[in-house]
Amino acid sequence: MATRQPPALDLDQSLHDVTREIGSVPLRFPAKLPWTIAFVIALSLLALFFVSVSWLFTWGVGVWGLNIPVNWAFAIHLYVWWLGLGHAGTLISAMLLLMGQDWRNSLNRFAEAMTLCAVTCAGIYPIIHLGRPWFFYWMFPYPATMGVWPQFRSPLEWDIWAVLTYLIVSLLFWYIGLVPDLATVRDRAKKRGWQVFFGIFALGWRGSAKHWERWNKAYRTTAAIAVPLVVSVHSEVSLLFASSQIPGWHSTIFPPYFVLGAAFSGFAMVAMIAIPVRHLFGLKEIVTERHLDVLAKVLLASGLMTAYGYVFEVFDAAYSGDVHELGTLHDRFLGIYAWSYWGAVLLNFVPLQGLWFKRVRDNPILLFLIGMSVVIGMWLERYMILVTSLYKDFLVSSWHGYSPTFWDWGAYLGTLGLFLTPFLLFLRFIPSISIFEDKEVLAREQKEAGRG
Amino acid sequence: MSGRLDIGALRAKLDGQQGRAYWRSLEEAAADGDFEEALKAEFPSQFEYWQTNRRELLRVMGASLALAGVAGCSSRRSDEAIPYVNRPEDAVEGRSGSYATAVTFAGYAQPVVATTHAGRPTKLEGNPDHPASRGATSLHNQAAILDLYDPDRSQAPLLKGETASWSDFDTMMAKLRRQWATNGGAGLALLIGPTSSPTLIRQLGELAKALPNARIHGFDPLEDFRRNATSSLFGRPLDIVPDLSRARVVVSLDDDLLGPGPAQVANVRAWAARRGEKVPAAERVRLLMAETTPTQTGAAALRRLAIVPSRLPLIAAAVAFHLGAGPAPEGGLSPQEAAWATEAARALAGARGASLVSAGAHAPQTMQALAFRLNEALGNVGQTIHYAEPILFAAPAGSLADLARAIAARQVGTLVTLDTNPIYAAPADLDFAALYGRVPLTIHAGTHADETAAASHWHLPLPHSLEDWSDARAVDGNATIIQPLVEPLYDSRSVHSLVSGLTGDTVQPPRDIVRATWTTLDDAVWHETLRSGIVPNSAAAPVTAAPAASAPLAYNPVDGGVEILFRPDPTIWDGRYANNAWLQELGKPLFKTTWENVIAISPAFAERLGAGNGDTLRITSAGRSVEGPAWILPGQPEKAVTLFLGYGRRNAGRVGNGIGYDAYSIRTAAAPWSAPGTVERLPGRTDIAVTQQYQSIDAEGADLVRTVAAAGVVAEKPEETDRASFYPAWQQEEPAWAMAIDLDLCTGCNACAIACQAENNVPVVGKDQVRRGRHMHWLRVDLYHAGGLDHPDTMFQPVPCMHCEQAPCEMGCPVHATVHSPDGLNEMVYNRCIGTRTCSSYCPYKVRRFNWFDYTSKAPAAIQAQRNPDVTVRGRGVMEKCTYCVQRIRGAEVDADKEDRPIREGEVVTACQQACPSNAIVFGNMKDPDSAVAKLRRSPRNYALLGELDTRPRTTYLARLSDRVDEI
Repeated sequence: MATRQPPALDLDQSLHDVTREIGSVPLRFPAKLPWTIAFVIALSLLALFFVSVSWLFTWGVGVWGLNIPVNWAFAIHLYVWWLGLGHAGTLISAMLLLMGQDWRNSLNRFAEAMTLCAVTCAGIYPIIHLGRPWFFYWMFPYPATMGVWPQFRSPLEWDIWAVLTYLIVSLLFWYIGLVPDLATVRDRAKKRGWQVFFGIFALGWRGSAKHWERWNKAYRTTAAIAVPLVVSVHSEVSLLFASSQIPGWHSTIFPPYFVLGAAFSGFAMVAMIAIPVRHLFGLKEIVTERHLDVLAKVLLASGLMTAYGYVFEVFDAAYSGDVHELGTLHDRFLGIYAWSYWGAVLLNFVPLQGLWFKRVRDNPILLFLIGMSVVIGMWLERYMILVTSLYKDFLVSSWHGYSPTFWDWGAYLGTLGLFLTPFLLFLRFIPSISIFEDKEVLAREQKEAGRG
Repeated sequence: MSGRLDIGALRAKLDGQQGRAYWRSLEEAAADGDFEEALKAEFPSQFEYWQTNRRELLRVMGASLALAGVAGCSSRRSDEAIPYVNRPEDAVEGRSGSYATAVTFAGYAQPVVATTHAGRPTKLEGNPDHPASRGATSLHNQAAILDLYDPDRSQAPLLKGETASWSDFDTMMAKLRRQWATNGGAGLALLIGPTSSPTLIRQLGELAKALPNARIHGFDPLEDFRRNATSSLFGRPLDIVPDLSRARVVVSLDDDLLGPGPAQVANVRAWAARRGEKVPAAERVRLLMAETTPTQTGAAALRRLAIVPSRLPLIAAAVAFHLGAGPAPEGGLSPQEAAWATEAARALAGARGASLVSAGAHAPQTMQALAFRLNEALGNVGQTIHYAEPILFAAPAGSLADLARAIAARQVGTLVTLDTNPIYAAPADLDFAALYGRVPLTIHAGTHADETAAASHWHLPLPHSLEDWSDARAVDGNATIIQPLVEPLYDSRSVHSLVSGLTGDTVQPPRDIVRATWTTLDDAVWHETLRSGIVPNSAAAPVTAAPAASAPLAYNPVDGGVEILFRPDPTIWDGRYANNAWLQELGKPLFKTTWENVIAISPAFAERLGAGNGDTLRITSAGRSVEGPAWILPGQPEKAVTLFLGYGRRNAGRVGNGIGYDAYSIRTAAAPWSAPGTVERLPGRTDIAVTQQYQSIDAEGADLVRTVAAAGVVAEKPEETDRASFYPAWQQEEPAWAMAIDLDLCTGCNACAIACQAENNVPVVGKDQVRRGRHMHWLRVDLYHAGGLDHPDTMFQPVPCMHCEQAPCEMGCPVHATVHSPDGLNEMVYNRCIGTRTCSSYCPYKVRRFNWFDYTSKAPAAIQAQRNPDVTVRGRGVMEKCTYCVQRIRGAEVDADKEDRPIREGEVVTACQQACPSNAIVFGNMKDPDSAVAKLRRSPRNYALLGELDTRPRTTYLARLSDRVDEI
């Protein structure tokens, strides 16, 4: 497969160059100032998160703009959004690993880290949005003295399991993939502290053939577990809505629609992160233009599949002839929240069309902007799905609008801090691109180049 | 411990004490210093406590102790109060007691049975033995219980705003009495709110004899024109008593028969007797309404004509003309008006002796006279309507205007204002506040230190109806002895004691005064009267009277201008309920706004002004103006603007102060109900809190409130209930609780909503939270308009929890906090709820309510005393909703268990069902084929709300019946 495509990596560099280029990032950090600025911003957002959540816990969920009928808005909308962003990491790493798509090796490590951070942000919401968050553990099947179990028919219960499983598997997958590189960095570390730090987490990796054999089995097995999880987790998240009878939610298209949307937003997010990282850290030989080109094509493909979901959703409502479904459709097109629908359509699919052209795909700035547009577009889409369905459901008498309050925004912007802080720490302290996998690719590509 | 005790000295000490001194140890009894020292060392905190003297401790604990008194056994009256049921020894803890009594509303008795828990009244129900109630209540009756616990009630006499004592007042009165005794009460004036109390009327009669020079004036801001009309027509004032249960045709000329007011329960009961399931089509009541501001009566009408007040006489004349009872009306009628008048006349002619023409309380005298004449001509008098001696007290010295003249002429030295608030509610053109300030001594007695209290020298607290003895008559004339259920919470004195104190030197207990009125009742009958809540044979006997000729109807067109109407607020009334949070938070029945009054304008007029809901309007009439928020009211005629009285209070209390505009400020004595005026739109907007934002039913909601043709009922298919479902069917155990709500009977009065609030400890959340869509009502009455904006159909639909057998909420909850009971209730387990709100998101009916904040724990202690101890008070972060009054079901189960029998039909009555004046709500076991609810569920009119979702609700609706020929 690789023979038909141009090489992903610059063939002039040696294997040692790859190691030095990536491995040196944590040890002699190249972009201290931008990183520090970003980190300060992330920390202030994190502070906002803690303030918002303290305020929320002090007074109750009433500090948000929620009401009856809009019981869920920002919290659930952002839960879905963050989780979707996270999925690209798993898809890039695990699915492409299993499919033998080598180009992934330059992207997978930080995509996986992004997954972990995003899933953490997502996982926070279902807890803080509770009326009585201090009882969140009642959703787990622990041996309660009263013998009460969770209610297993509830999509929320499925959610708990799906997200926790996903988080654990993602963590394992990310960590397993990291082990050989941790060993590399350990060996290159000069200071005792770094040596011990990386030494502990490298689990005594010595790079023996046996190690590699076992590692390969473990890594691929975990990958094989992780890929279906992406589908199951986001399908499950969609069931949170589709299991109800609320017009605009009650649809069988939801699981694939949500999974594709999640992948779409995730790839956009990867593009948004890859471009500044390769620029700031000088990793242009590792994350090459070919990577960006492939990423852009995947983004385009998943975007078009998501667009199919949009079309089908409209068709679905129109075909059903149900007055409530048609009413919701009408409200999405023309109601007071029409901006969220048309905003989503516009931001998700219009700039995306530029990716049909190679010039656009090769332009990192344009790709970055398109990625950003998609991330915002998907944010609007999740908001639209939540709010336009709930604010006008069945009984005319219960209809009521929703508008977020300062504390809604505070908690949202705060999770950006919750996302960025660990992610920036990861960039700073851990090899953010897989060294050994890139070397593998380089070696093979060089061999193939030499041969042909 | 210290050295030995001197037993001899101790014995002497104890012997020397008076009364029974309790001591716990000999050391304590000796009270020697060593013991105290030892105690102080061992229990320092307790020692501090004991150091406080008892009197001081009581003062410190003030309010809370007063309430503890309410809850404690001391609140049981020592004087006789006979329980409603024959259980004088009802001191079983945890069991509630019931007492028949009455609360008053606009002077009339509202017969109720009050439920007490541990001596604490918690709920009012209608008195089933009383013809004016038949067990039902209005929203105002339901809310009256909250007034008892109003923390802003006046708690002690005030002298110039400072707390004073009753003995100070009595000293002053003694001097005044001596003075009045010599001059026959010259300079003394009384101003009395509307009252029907036979005792008070007797006392005032005696007062007038004892002090012939004293002046007794009456003031009711809502006094209508009927008394004047009957006086001039019959030569004496009479009450006009309609009996809707005997009327097949009712033509109402702006008379809100079914709307809020003291006669609401009686009228709705009677009207409902000719509606609903069992009434054959020919016997159904046909109601034709010509009105200005949309009312519940208009909503219930077969034909409603929207008309400005000035054109109403034309319509009335046209109806009379068609019936051959008058000349043709001058001036042309619009085709709509003519059609309405023709139809009304035809309907009346077809139901002679079984029809009723009713002119609104606010209609001018000539129209009242026309209505009397038409009823005479149609043979309705004695059938659907009769005359009776007036129930309310007629003040001999006249009205407030007469008092104002007397004050201006310096004839008033002492003014005693009893239970009325003229400073707030007086007509603006009297400038009464200035006159009031000129009276040398002003004494105000009321339940609240209101605007008049603030302007008076003395303010005296009156007790709530449930706190002291009194009596009153209901709209049908039947008297009720008002027996107290609880010791007065505050330092109040009954109005009877106050009036007797004007002439008598001793403060008589009110019970003795009331008993003295009813000397004809021997002790046995007296006891029976207290038990049943109705004085035997006290109903007003019909009197015969023939109307004299009256002046012809006058038509005074208002040229091109706008007519300004003044109407009592549907919930706050004339302002007396301004501090009642339940009534403030209840959406006004016809427009669903809360927490303030609005200026009702027509859609067409709003368009012309360019004003939307909430935009500030300035209304100017007779040189005075007031500003308030606009509210577009479908069905309001174009050139009419309605102002609602009762708001803009300054001294109502923490709930009612400073909200809304004061419509009294532009209302004149000459034109109290409608006046010409102008409207202008000002910059500025109020964000009005509504409990329902959308009211118009289009295609999307057409199926929600169903209407079927009366004649076509039998042809209708019964609701299909056994659709295929993925879920297993709910096991049908007995009993299977179900509710049926007959929309043909519902008038949208909202008594059910307030009854539910009182029964289930539903919190009040305030204007801001309502605006955010967070009101907590478990049962709401939805309001819908269909058809055009100018002549809409108005429909009501009470929506409690549907208790779906296939409940979407139960499937969604991750922690089993909402589950199904074997008897088919969809239950909420509050202490298991973690607040994911999935249940509410999934609920197609949106009947679930969420505690977004802590709405309950910071309520004033007095308000907490009202709460029903059988219902959990919910904390922050949990979901709540209608339970079908599960506490009543379980209570009935316990009773049935004890007697080893199944629960009987009718044994469980939900709070909403009990309150409903039209019996629109029926509850029971649907597995019992003979139960009322099972019968209704078999009706062809029965349908499930959103039945297509297949939630299999236990609450079902019966479609409205349409009497319209053109719809059939």
